[in-house]
Amino acid sequence: MKEFKFLLAIWKANLQSVMEYRASFLLQVLGMMANNFIYFAIWIIFFNRFKEVRGWGIGDMYVTFGVLASAFGLVSLFFGNAFNLSDIISKGRLDYYLSMPRPVLLHTISSRMISSGMGDFTYGFISYALSGHFSPDGLARFILGTLLAATVFAAFLILVQSLAFWLGMMSNFTNLALNAMLSFGIYPITIFDNYAKFILFTIIPAAFMGAIPAEFVRSFSWQVLMELLIGAAVFLFMAVAVFRLGLKRYESGSAIQTEV
Amino acid sequence: MKSVSKYWAIFQTTLVNSLAYPGELIGRSLMIVPFMWIFYQLWNVTFNAAGTASINGLTLRDTMWYLMLAETIELSRSFVARTVSENVKDGSIAYMLNKPYSFILYQFSNSMGETVFRALMNAVFGSVVVWRLVGAPPGLSGWTLAFLAIIGSWILNFCTACLIGLAAFAVEDISAFVWIYQKFAFILGGLLIPLDFYPAWLQSIAKALPFSAMVYGPARLFVSPSLDLFANVIMMQAIWILILGLALATAYRRGVTSLTINGG
Repeated sequence: MKEFKFLLAIWKANLQSVMEYRASFLLQVLGMMANNFIYFAIWIIFFNRFKEVRGWGIGDMYVTFGVLASAFGLVSLFFGNAFNLSDIISKGRLDYYLSMPRPVLLHTISSRMISSGMGDFTYGFISYALSGHFSPDGLARFILGTLLAATVFAAFLILVQSLAFWLGMMSNFTNLALNAMLSFGIYPITIFDNYAKFILFTIIPAAFMGAIPAEFVRSFSWQVLMELLIGAAVFLFMAVAVFRLGLKRYESGSAIQTEV
Repeated sequence: MKSVSKYWAIFQTTLVNSLAYPGELIGRSLMIVPFMWIFYQLWNVTFNAAGTASINGLTLRDTMWYLMLAETIELSRSFVARTVSENVKDGSIAYMLNKPYSFILYQFSNSMGETVFRALMNAVFGSVVVWRLVGAPPGLSGWTLAFLAIIGSWILNFCTACLIGLAAFAVEDISAFVWIYQKFAFILGGLLIPLDFYPAWLQSIAKALPFSAMVYGPARLFVSPSLDLFANVIMMQAIWILILGLALATAYRRGVTSLTINGG
């Protein structure tokens, strides 16, 4: 409860900070929504021409894209520093968070809000509404699926970026991992063979961010819900464990940093 | 002649600089590998489902090599929009204005220098993957014509991206414009789906816009080279370079006129 109040206070401060430049904030939100819409048009063209890919149609794409966009947006909004954690680690900027009486990981990743995340988050709901699968209970499942997908996504980012404790500067690798996660998550899962699907549930858990929550949104199933819950719990546990393990190796150069 | 050698020297310096961190260069270029693999999965299933060896004149092999070149063009683009925008926002443009070179041509030489090896590395990694998946690349004539068209594509991209960067004179953040430009290049350039698979009405619109001359033209020339197509692509590039180049010159002149510099 104490940590939740702390998070609320940080998010409030972050929101006030990004709202300082309202025109810029609005431009980023609307720009990201337009960006997503234009990107999705490619799938509309594809499915207009080829109708379906192994039983996967445009409606499935709307839901998958919706969950993925909202989950991405949620992490960008509330845990924006998860995207550049490796940079913070390798440049010795963890010093600031270590000197504070709060959980280091939580404090670090929640200290930045990416404005465009609001555009992604909102667009995800629009995409779901347009999917043809919309229903009130489906909306509840969409929200739950998005929360669990966001958990897996944030955990994956922390896991990958925490490798900086051992490997130092690794922005290329983290970019590669991020792009792989998003690219694999957005494509119809039916195009992948069993070997590829194994990768999508383990090394690059894109299935937990796109196809599996989308399946849960379309129709309720205890089995899929359990898969999502277990996936989120396992990846979150691994992320926290790897970060803590890495933190023991952390050294800083006592550089003077200003955290705004 | 002296002014050309000045920009050639800037180009060479950036070119050499881009080789200073080979790990960075290779790491960034590896991004094409998962993309090509996913494309193969998608188009392999699609061609199988269609039950045909060729869709609108393109086989699976053609499609994959087309996508390889299209991705190479996209992934090797320089970040000139952000560079120019940063120069405008942090005021460093002021230090460049009093140098004995044109700000725009300096950025152009710089951006070309950044692009060359990035494109080369992307093409190498992309080719290795695609060759392994669908077999040998198209013949040498395709390489030659596509190479010339790629140079036009880079110039065209520079004009558009620099124009977006100069928007920083008017707005605080240009990110939204960069995203939207990139997505228009995706959809109207035929980056993820060759334009040949689009409905006829959309093909007509896309082929009249600069995005297709940036991505589709060079990539299509690569897999099915012909002098007619080459002439068409080069003509489209020339027209759009002229239009966007004039717009860029005007925007720059106006921006610099309204520039206010405080302090030193």
